[in-house]
Amino acid sequence: MGTVAQRLIGAAGAPPRWLQSGARFVPVVLALTLWQVIVDLGLVNRDFLPSFSDTVAALAHMIRNGEIGLNLFVSLYRALSGLVIGSFLGIGIGLLMATSARADGFFGPLVATTYSLPKAALVPLFILWFGIGDVTNILTVVLACLLPVIVATYHGVKAVPPVLVWSARAMGTPGPAVLWRILLPAALGSILTGVRIALSFCFVLTISAEMIAAKTGIGKLIFIYGENGAYAFMFGGLMAVVIVAYAADRALVAAMHYILRWDDSLHSVTSYD
Amino acid sequence: MSRIVIAHLNKIYKSRTGDVPALIDINLDIGDGEFVSVIGPSGCGKSTLLYILGGFIAADGGSILVDGKPVTGPGTDRGIVFQEYALFPWLTVDQNIHYGLEMVGMSRRERDEIVRHLIRTVNLEGFERRFPRELSGGMKQRVAIARTLAYNPHILLLDEPFGALDSQTRESMQDELRRLWLKERKTVVMVTHDVNEAVYLSERVVVMSKRPGRIVEEFKIAVDRAGGREATVLSETFTRIRNEVWLSVRRQVGAAPGGADRNEMAGG
Repeated sequence: MGTVAQRLIGAAGAPPRWLQSGARFVPVVLALTLWQVIVDLGLVNRDFLPSFSDTVAALAHMIRNGEIGLNLFVSLYRALSGLVIGSFLGIGIGLLMATSARADGFFGPLVATTYSLPKAALVPLFILWFGIGDVTNILTVVLACLLPVIVATYHGVKAVPPVLVWSARAMGTPGPAVLWRILLPAALGSILTGVRIALSFCFVLTISAEMIAAKTGIGKLIFIYGENGAYAFMFGGLMAVVIVAYAADRALVAAMHYILRWDDSLHSVTSYD
Repeated sequence: MSRIVIAHLNKIYKSRTGDVPALIDINLDIGDGEFVSVIGPSGCGKSTLLYILGGFIAADGGSILVDGKPVTGPGTDRGIVFQEYALFPWLTVDQNIHYGLEMVGMSRRERDEIVRHLIRTVNLEGFERRFPRELSGGMKQRVAIARTLAYNPHILLLDEPFGALDSQTRESMQDELRRLWLKERKTVVMVTHDVNEAVYLSERVVVMSKRPGRIVEEFKIAVDRAGGREATVLSETFTRIRNEVWLSVRRQVGAAPGGADRNEMAGG
């Protein structure tokens, strides 16, 4: 829609929409070009920094031989399982904390003290308990996703105007049903913003955990190529992760725009343009 | 028999700096089918009184009976319309009006019938699928009223229901409310700060003092409204009563806290 002013400017000949949305890729293109030029001019040692074109070629090679497909599938499985489990747990705990002083008193200090703990530091411990593989990887992701979702749910529910709960009660909504009939939908915008943060964490933590606690996965792939000094391939694996994570974030934002189409504060759902 | 009996009601808000009395010794009987307005300076506790009646907050003493039973919480016998509408923003107009009926456990078929009728009554045909954010203030208020009327509560509690509307919309909404009350004869308790609105709609107007709120004066509104809004508002009786109420409220705005005594001396 846009304001009157925006529409007037638009009518006076602003660049077309495709150009505007394309403009956000300009900094990325610039950075990639700079990368290519620096390597091509020999300003850095090619052995330690592969060029952009070498990286793309390595990625293409790994896509063709199935290395990326297989490991990406495993990593996505771990990342998304962790995200889904962590989000549901986080929503539950957040709801509980926001509606019960006792739960708040119990979980509050735990959340506050573990919030800034780097979850990747727990991986060695998890290896000890659960060995190398899916359990350790997924558990790490769950823990990382849990906290932002708890905090977002808690604040979202706390911010629900009391009159919404009151009118629900006046219309005969039983106490427990207020939770999922009123509090959950009213806090949905905030909750999904928490899930979006968790989404970025889930990729970070999957890759970190796989580097030391897995036999498969993109993280392991990156680690092995790094160890062997095949840096173009290492960068190729990283590039695959970046592309997938970016696409996942765009998909979530699109879903949020649809789910929250009723929300006045929809414009708060932005992308990192 | 009185529908609502409020006796010696007190409300104290606790704060870090100490207790703040909000309502002191409120006594009010409201008859079946009566339309009563509560008016007073802002912050006098009139909304608090309504929220206690609705069962959303508890009183700190005194009693409040509805149909002979003490109020212990919200109930579908008392429908409330809030100043800020309090529509569920994630539900469409249709779904908002359906909500209360769904809670009562009515079948989809029956609900559809009632909701269709109400949508027509409040002039919202064509907006059934819209979300509240897509509606103007007047339309939101009509949805809020329709949603409350849908499950047919005996008592309507109105918290400055037209406060946020422009004067044109406000007048037409008042006329709609008046028609509705004449037709259904529900018991109505309306909180407002608009003297004209109170006198135009109510059978009785109760004036409250500045915080801590107490009832300082009551006016029976014996105005013939049969001739429509213009004739009513321009009539001598209406003008006289409105002026009396206006002066009474004005005295409260100017009076020191707990100015009941002074008001009695002024002769009410």
